[in-house]
Amino acid sequence: MTRDGSLIRVSGLTREYRMGAETVHALRGVDMEIYRNEYVAIMGPSGSGKSTLMNIIGCLDTCTVGEYWLNGVEVSGVGDDELARIRNQEIGFVFQTFNLLPRATALHNVELPLIYAGVSAKIRRRCAAQALERVGLADRMQHRPNELSGGQRQRVAIARGLVNEPSILLADEPTGNLDSTTSAEIMGVFDGLHQQGQTVVMVTHERDIAARARRVITLLDGRVHSDTVREAA
Amino acid sequence: MPLLEGLRLALREIANHKLRSFFTLLGIIVSVAFLVAVVAIIQGMNAYVRENLAGAIVGRNAFQIRRIPISVGLIDDEEWRELQRRPVIRPEEADYVSRAIPDAEAIALQSGWPTPMADVSWRNRTVGDVLVVGVTAPYQVVQDYETAAGEPLTEIDVRERRRVAILGFDVADKLFDNFDAAIGRRIRVRGFQVAVKGIVEKKGTVLGQSMDGFVMLPLTLFEAMYGRRQTTVISVKMPEAAQVADAMLRAEEAMRIARQLRPGQANDFTVDTAEGLITFWQNLTRIIFTVVPAVVAIGIVVGGIVIMNIMLMSVHERTREIGIRKSVGARRTDIQQQFLAESVALATLGGLLGIVAGWALAQLVAVVSPLPARITWWSVSVALGLGASIGLIFGVYPASRAARLDPIAALRFEQ
Repeated sequence: MTRDGSLIRVSGLTREYRMGAETVHALRGVDMEIYRNEYVAIMGPSGSGKSTLMNIIGCLDTCTVGEYWLNGVEVSGVGDDELARIRNQEIGFVFQTFNLLPRATALHNVELPLIYAGVSAKIRRRCAAQALERVGLADRMQHRPNELSGGQRQRVAIARGLVNEPSILLADEPTGNLDSTTSAEIMGVFDGLHQQGQTVVMVTHERDIAARARRVITLLDGRVHSDTVREAA
Repeated sequence: MPLLEGLRLALREIANHKLRSFFTLLGIIVSVAFLVAVVAIIQGMNAYVRENLAGAIVGRNAFQIRRIPISVGLIDDEEWRELQRRPVIRPEEADYVSRAIPDAEAIALQSGWPTPMADVSWRNRTVGDVLVVGVTAPYQVVQDYETAAGEPLTEIDVRERRRVAILGFDVADKLFDNFDAAIGRRIRVRGFQVAVKGIVEKKGTVLGQSMDGFVMLPLTLFEAMYGRRQTTVISVKMPEAAQVADAMLRAEEAMRIARQLRPGQANDFTVDTAEGLITFWQNLTRIIFTVVPAVVAIGIVVGGIVIMNIMLMSVHERTREIGIRKSVGARRTDIQQQFLAESVALATLGGLLGIVAGWALAQLVAVVSPLPARITWWSVSVALGLGASIGLIFGVYPASRAARLDPIAALRFEQ
């Protein structure tokens, strides 16, 4: 692959937290590059720094030292509002705990990113409905999260992640709260999205989940331990 | 986030917590209701004093020439002694006045304050505490009295000191079953026998006080019974309100001539309209108007702090929601606006409820007491403006706390 296809490029990424008198080194210099249309799994044991890496890639957090280029734009060092804009336009999040607004309908939950993008109500509604159709929830639009199963909630979350047509879909243990059948279903959704050309970055500690990705990056103690690309079948 | 979206969100959040919102707003509601109700009652009374009371006491388009001014107010001892040295108004002086104001509708003399009270009886019926007034015939014109039965007093009744009386509606109503049959009957006023000559049409009440509980006697008869009052008053009624001011000047001049006052010498009489009474009343209400805002301000501030407290609680409860919103691209200002919109909407709602409650309270007072009530647009707009600004002021801190939340920590937040 060429450098032009590079979507994410991080170098020397370091993140330290102060916890009282102690300094926790979550990341100790991570270098990696993720290209357009890749399906990458980030693995590693607890405390390896994968969540921190994920937060920095997702622009929820900033690195202490290092560089982060997203879509050819240097992200490290931009302000709060600009980070919010990047999250809104470039990133789609899918969380382990779904993180849906409990009182809002599926449709409204999916509309949420579009509200902050300043999209008019009419277009918002149409885009949100289309996103829900893409994840197979066309008939559950007016349901609230507590009226949906775990798998359906995660589909709503995926639809919300997709609705702004982001550069990357970032998933943090998306099947962690689901049973194995539903997990397989949700992984099927991700596979389908990847086939449609969506770049997917997924944090997981489950080997069989990671096995669905073409590329697996393993972190250990805040550093890249291995980076393997599975040959296309 | 567009403003409309923020407002919609705010209203939904308030609707989701109806009871909590209501209790949050209680302080604002009570304060605003108090403000609106008190202002309504005072304004109502001001209008009432201007329109009814003043007219009832002095007469419409009328003024008085008096020894002592109407406006009681605050008079110090020196002024009081000065007033006491003034000569009594004499009937001849009324002639000077009537010559100076030929266009007057009526010029009358009346016995002044304090009005004596007496028992009035006919056969075995007695009415107690009836006001007894002595007047000349034109007084009935000054007061716009309509005759319900019989005839009004005449100049001859006064000149001849006839033993006749005109009854107020309530007095006649209590003494006689039939008004027409009452005419000519001999009644006793403080033991004096007088014949009923006429009955005045009902005048109604002013501030709960009946205006119909009187017996009107010819001034000459009255003075024979009670002696001449120190406070006899000349009343002048003009055909139009616009003529009153000019007529007052002419009356003043006539009185100075009658009393042979030299230029530079102060008047030893007062030419007064009910304005004096209104001014006195307004001075009184001005004191209330300075106290009320202070009380309301305290209530509003306390109400504002309650709103701030609830908003802080709401921010805490919704930490995760804030995290979610930030993760999908809400900026600090979006979050801040959302919570500000909520507190402003909440406090404005409090203002609205307070206006409704205050209006209801004022109406209730108007119904159960003689105090009238009038809602004024300015108290309503002050109440609304107050509500909105309280929401804004006390919403800033919770909203900025919400806006400053770290998205990662907020997303991990467990209730």
